[in-house]
Amino acid sequence: MPVLKNDSSIIERKTGVAPGQGPEKGLITLPGETANESDDLGGGSYLTTKLDTMVNWARGNSLWPLPFGTACCAIEFMSMVSSAYDIARFGAEVVRFSPRQADLLIVAGTIVDKLAPVLKKIYDQMPEPKYVLAMGACATSGGFYRAYHVVQGIDEIIPVDIWVPGCPPTPDGLMYGILKLKEKIERGEIKRG
Amino acid sequence: MSTLTRFSAIPYTGPAPTNRNPYVPADVATIDARGAEIAARAGVALEQETGLDLPAFIVAKEAIVPTLRALRDHTEFQFDLPLDLFGVDYPGREQRFDVVYQLYSVKNNERIRLKVRVGETESVPTSVDVYRAFDWFEREVFDMYGVRFEGHPNLRRILTHEMFQGHALRKDYDPAQRWLLSEQGVAKLKPKIDPRFEVEHSDFERVTLNLGPSHPAMHGTLRCAVTLEGETIVGADQEIGYLHRCFEKMSETHTYQQVIPFTDRLNYCSAVINNVGYCMTVEKLLGVAAPERAQHVRLMLSEFYRIADHIVCIGTNLVDLGALTNFWYLFQPREEIIALAESCSGARLLPTYLRIGGLAVDVPADFLSNSQRIVNMLPKYIDEVEALVMKNRIFRDRTEGVGAITKEDALNFGFTGPCLRAAGVPFDVRKASPYLGYETYDWDVPYAEGGDTYARFLVRFEEMRQSIRILQQAIDRGLPSGPVIVDNPYVALPPKEKVYNEMESLIYHFKLIMHGIQPPVGEAYFQVEGGNGEVGFYIVSDGTKNPYRVRVRPPCFPIFEAYGHMIMGQTIPDAIATLGSLNIIAGELDH
Amino acid sequence: MPVTRTAPGIVRVEREAMTLSQRAYLPQILGGMLRTFRHFLRNLFNMKGLPTISYPEVKRVYSERFRGRHILTTREDGTTRCVACYMCSTACPAECITIEAGEDQRTREKFPVRYDIDLLRCIFCGYCVDACPEDAIYMTRDYEMSIDTRARAVVGLRDLVVPPDFPVEPMGWRPYYGKMDKRGTAGGTGIGQPIREAPYKEEMPIPNPDVYRGA
Repeated sequence: MPVLKNDSSIIERKTGVAPGQGPEKGLITLPGETANESDDLGGGSYLTTKLDTMVNWARGNSLWPLPFGTACCAIEFMSMVSSAYDIARFGAEVVRFSPRQADLLIVAGTIVDKLAPVLKKIYDQMPEPKYVLAMGACATSGGFYRAYHVVQGIDEIIPVDIWVPGCPPTPDGLMYGILKLKEKIERGEIKRG
Repeated sequence: MSTLTRFSAIPYTGPAPTNRNPYVPADVATIDARGAEIAARAGVALEQETGLDLPAFIVAKEAIVPTLRALRDHTEFQFDLPLDLFGVDYPGREQRFDVVYQLYSVKNNERIRLKVRVGETESVPTSVDVYRAFDWFEREVFDMYGVRFEGHPNLRRILTHEMFQGHALRKDYDPAQRWLLSEQGVAKLKPKIDPRFEVEHSDFERVTLNLGPSHPAMHGTLRCAVTLEGETIVGADQEIGYLHRCFEKMSETHTYQQVIPFTDRLNYCSAVINNVGYCMTVEKLLGVAAPERAQHVRLMLSEFYRIADHIVCIGTNLVDLGALTNFWYLFQPREEIIALAESCSGARLLPTYLRIGGLAVDVPADFLSNSQRIVNMLPKYIDEVEALVMKNRIFRDRTEGVGAITKEDALNFGFTGPCLRAAGVPFDVRKASPYLGYETYDWDVPYAEGGDTYARFLVRFEEMRQSIRILQQAIDRGLPSGPVIVDNPYVALPPKEKVYNEMESLIYHFKLIMHGIQPPVGEAYFQVEGGNGEVGFYIVSDGTKNPYRVRVRPPCFPIFEAYGHMIMGQTIPDAIATLGSLNIIAGELDH
Repeated sequence: MPVTRTAPGIVRVEREAMTLSQRAYLPQILGGMLRTFRHFLRNLFNMKGLPTISYPEVKRVYSERFRGRHILTTREDGTTRCVACYMCSTACPAECITIEAGEDQRTREKFPVRYDIDLLRCIFCGYCVDACPEDAIYMTRDYEMSIDTRARAVVGLRDLVVPPDFPVEPMGWRPYYGKMDKRGTAGGTGIGQPIREAPYKEEMPIPNPDVYRGA
């Protein structure tokens, strides 16, 4: 499985290596977490792997987000769409509110118990391949709402590919998350669809 | 640049606040005198409760409806604006719940508070017939405390979901006890058909359409089910609670200082205004006032955030109406406003910049020049968008007469802020009961006639101009010199320099972090003009570091309650246009 | 829109009657198009003046108060300034800081044997920095901290502690702006006395590639 070289990534990195490459030194590593997940993807012929790469490249560059914006983070999402940050530069400006037309679910804002079935339904309605980005403290973990009506992280309900901390994350912080997801897709790390 | 503009904090020679003595408002004599006057002349029996910050009365639960009606219809007092209705739980008492009504009189510019005491098994007669706003407020009290309202047309849970057990704001409810909702439990909404449309006189079959909670036009997480006859909306039912983040319960489990980030997230489009409201309420309880410099900065940031709030409202509403460009034009100055807040506080949208007693740190050196730059650039963008839409016939056809509400209905529904002013009532908290020195500025309260979507646009555009006027004057006056936080180690942390080097300051620092601010026992209400209307905080202190009860008066709550009434007889696109112009912020609506 | 003063301090915003050209749809539509087209042309010939920040190549410089990822500062001898007093975890509204204190056998000074911050819980309010009596926890201007597993969001001493010569440039919310001053510690061990080992070793690889250490 050919892998996008780190130096060809457009993300400027000051130190370290790309996620999934080299020594993983996150403090807590789950079993199997550090293994290069793209290893078991291959097994096919040269042609199919090349095709895979191309498809992944195309997917990574044309993410159609569905902003499931509920709270403060949705306003920062708007900032990211607005002219100062302009997500169109990454081919992700086609903001779709119909889950049938989107492949990236951006959960921006608190998910409460009352809304949880709605989020699940929306996720189920999205066609494969689909990716989920949890934006902000509330969506990722419940944040400081350790409360009787707040979901403590949307991974209680749906799988999540990228977590963006912050309350709310800055638009560039969110963009970094999207770029990281893009890299992940292009490397074929997300095995869905 | 030093952040430490404070003068010597140590040794502190002022009085040590004791939480043993109850809170006494500064002008308690005049308030009590006014309360006695109202009790004497109201025409109904009112038992006065003295020593509070508002004229307050205890009413027997059987008498509440006639009392409210008498106060509303009284020719002299005319309490025509229902502000708030909420509960407070005192488990030690025999009648454990206080149901508190707060009313406002536009004519006399005064507020009163009525309290009804109920036990766990008792119920209160509903006052929906007197004030329509209290429909949802009563449902909220039922949801949070389990107090039943006799005769209420639709007494079911409002903020929590159907499978929720117990009543969350009771003191014996565990703050972290969750109840899960399965997909089968999602509420099936049955819109109530408006009496005007009860007779079916159309060839079309009636269809019920669900909008939201995830719908592009339902800003945030609002949900509305409408019954359509052909294209006409003949019934509507709104469901809220999809962003109920338990603000009030969380406040009870955090210290006074820690509640500030929670208030940020109420109306997240104008976070600073909420901070101002909350901090000033606690300051009122503590009997301290922020230094002049802090007040000046608070005022400037409030006005900047008011403009940012209106920008988000106008921009997104125009997107709903199909005018996408304005969103991009308007977000450019907004980005500058956010950057200004970031340069002060370090966070973009939710600054958490205020502290009880002042500000976290002093403003940066270029604060005024930066503000001037933004004030200079704002009119250009506002004028441009106004020129693009306000005279455009397509826009006018889509907004004029759409989602209209009469003055009387707006008052009865408890509207405040731009939506009330668009209906022809020039009520603005900044003028009616000025705070932060708003009375010293030369500005006008804009209002418009008609109460329709176009009128709300007119008011919002003019309000931004007035805010710019206030800001220009504030910049011209310059920042007052002096500290930015009160010189009181029981309220504000000592300067870091002293914490590192002086034992006494270090002890104060530890005490304040560990034991928190402990205001005197009592209750206080304070209101500010938020982006959508009156944001009021009612705080009950029991002398400990955690608030006993924090109630926020969310301006969106009654406004969204009236939404169904406003869109009746109109079409779906009109309903979308109306919703955007109301600027419902879910964080505040569901608190 | 024109306003009329109806009372002191109160103005009514009037709605104008539509003029003939406004009634005729087209002039207003064309006027609007002209306006947007002017924007388009101005941007086309003035690409440098565009408000857009080309994010990964050009990064926005936030103010020196920016509240981003936390760091734990060290004394000149390489020991952490933190004395495990639990002030930050008490002040934290999100309760996202977990500290375990150890005691130095020789000096009887406390130090953290474990200091975890759950970045996902953290709301970046800066209360921990305000609460710290030891100048030990600062926030940086690093906002790029997306994570692909939830477990890795918990950062510990390995990710938080920075060397004594950590540059000022990436630092954000902190009690002193300008340079990171080496201040005496209240009740500390003093500077330059190597008492205990640093909680990490310099030659070890940098832990989390997502942690920006400004090196």
